[in-house]
Amino acid sequence: MAQAGLVQYSGHQHLRLRLVLSLLSGKAVRIDKIRSEDKNPGLRDFEISLLRLLEKITNGTIIEISVTGTAVLLKPGIISGGPLTHDCPLSRSIGYFLEPLVALAPFAKKPFQLTLRGITTDEHDLSVDLFRTVTLPHLQLFGISDGLELRIKKRGAPPAGGGEVQFLCPIVKQVKTLNFVEPGKIKRIRGVAHAVRVNPQFSNRMIEASRSVLNRYIPDIYLYSDVYKGEESGKSPGYALSLLAESTTSALHCSEAISQPGVAPEDIALQATRALLAEIDQGGCVDRQHQTLVLLMMVLGSEDVGRCRMGEPTPRTIQFLRDVRSFFGTSFKIVAAEPMDKECSHLLYSCYGVGYVNSNRTLA
Amino acid sequence: AQAASSTSRRQKDWMKLIYSSELTPEEVLRGKEENLTEADGEDDDDEFFRFKKVPRNEVDAEVDCSKHAWKEEDLKQWEEDEMLESIRGLFITGTAAE
Repeated sequence: MAQAGLVQYSGHQHLRLRLVLSLLSGKAVRIDKIRSEDKNPGLRDFEISLLRLLEKITNGTIIEISVTGTAVLLKPGIISGGPLTHDCPLSRSIGYFLEPLVALAPFAKKPFQLTLRGITTDEHDLSVDLFRTVTLPHLQLFGISDGLELRIKKRGAPPAGGGEVQFLCPIVKQVKTLNFVEPGKIKRIRGVAHAVRVNPQFSNRMIEASRSVLNRYIPDIYLYSDVYKGEESGKSPGYALSLLAESTTSALHCSEAISQPGVAPEDIALQATRALLAEIDQGGCVDRQHQTLVLLMMVLGSEDVGRCRMGEPTPRTIQFLRDVRSFFGTSFKIVAAEPMDKECSHLLYSCYGVGYVNSNRTLA
Repeated sequence: AQAASSTSRRQKDWMKLIYSSELTPEEVLRGKEENLTEADGEDDDDEFFRFKKVPRNEVDAEVDCSKHAWKEEDLKQWEEDEMLESIRGLFITGTAAE
């Protein structure tokens, strides 16, 4: 391997996105000083599990982890895809693993049919409900749509999990250039409430509480109570409410809240509802949780200028923008969306796509 | 305070801050503060090994998670009727934002 094709980092932060960038760009990545000052140094079990998963979905990838676990080197192979199963550790939810995969799957050699087992909803990562209803539609903006599906077979609440999802993703040759600058107005609100191994009435109570706030805005509100019974409801009790708002231009904003001990379902629902309103207030065409996915696809887009209007970047996004430049040499132009309007914090992100072509697909 | 923070936001040159500064992502957003160096007063000589002190904000960034962590006070303001009305213009049923 030429040393020129190696990107180096220190620290455990932003690990997932860096691994994704490495696999897509074909440049090796070396990360050292992973929690080297920590009481418990080195990679965590979920990070090791993620590396194993990346090894499974690719062919020819070389992963070297140092003896102490504080350094890792990844030399990317090709993304192979196909039918696979992975058991996620209970320290992180399925969302943690799904997020990098969503960015990689469209560029595989064979369509993904991935079964993931573990926790389906937790407080750190997007739940599988939001992946299904919000993240996957974001891929459709880039022309990745036919056969794109996430099936929630079983739910699994923390701590014991026991959930299972199946992720199906088609492959594409190239992604379309994005031009999304009109946020539009919110026209409908959808939501999924689920309750497993607790009184099924809890999901109705959440729906009612959420409606009490949302009904004032628009009539088109549909909150669905998703019931899972027996084997399908996992090993631990829990409930959650996931909400999404869709605008006239199909901009999506989402939020969710999950059960906490000693908090009534109504209060959980209000948390989710208020978070949704705050997210709507933030505005833009893409919400904070999906900034990095959209920006990544814009970089990979055909050789044309892609544009998107969003709110301020999150810390994650800022680091991601820097990392993208290290791997792809692409930098974004970021200007105020409405320079005249002092109140508007929206920014217009634009970049020239690298014209990424899925070469794994043609290799067969 | 609201107005002050929004004016400082206006002046931000995002491209310069992101691509040609050494600031950490958190500093880019909040503005650079003098790093509060915690007083290293306690000289615990009892133990041979000592853990290195990690600056406070690094601990916050510990978990690599994608979900936005809402602060309680951010959500609290949505209990007010006035706040609820303020975003009516963002819905199709609302008249032009006022």
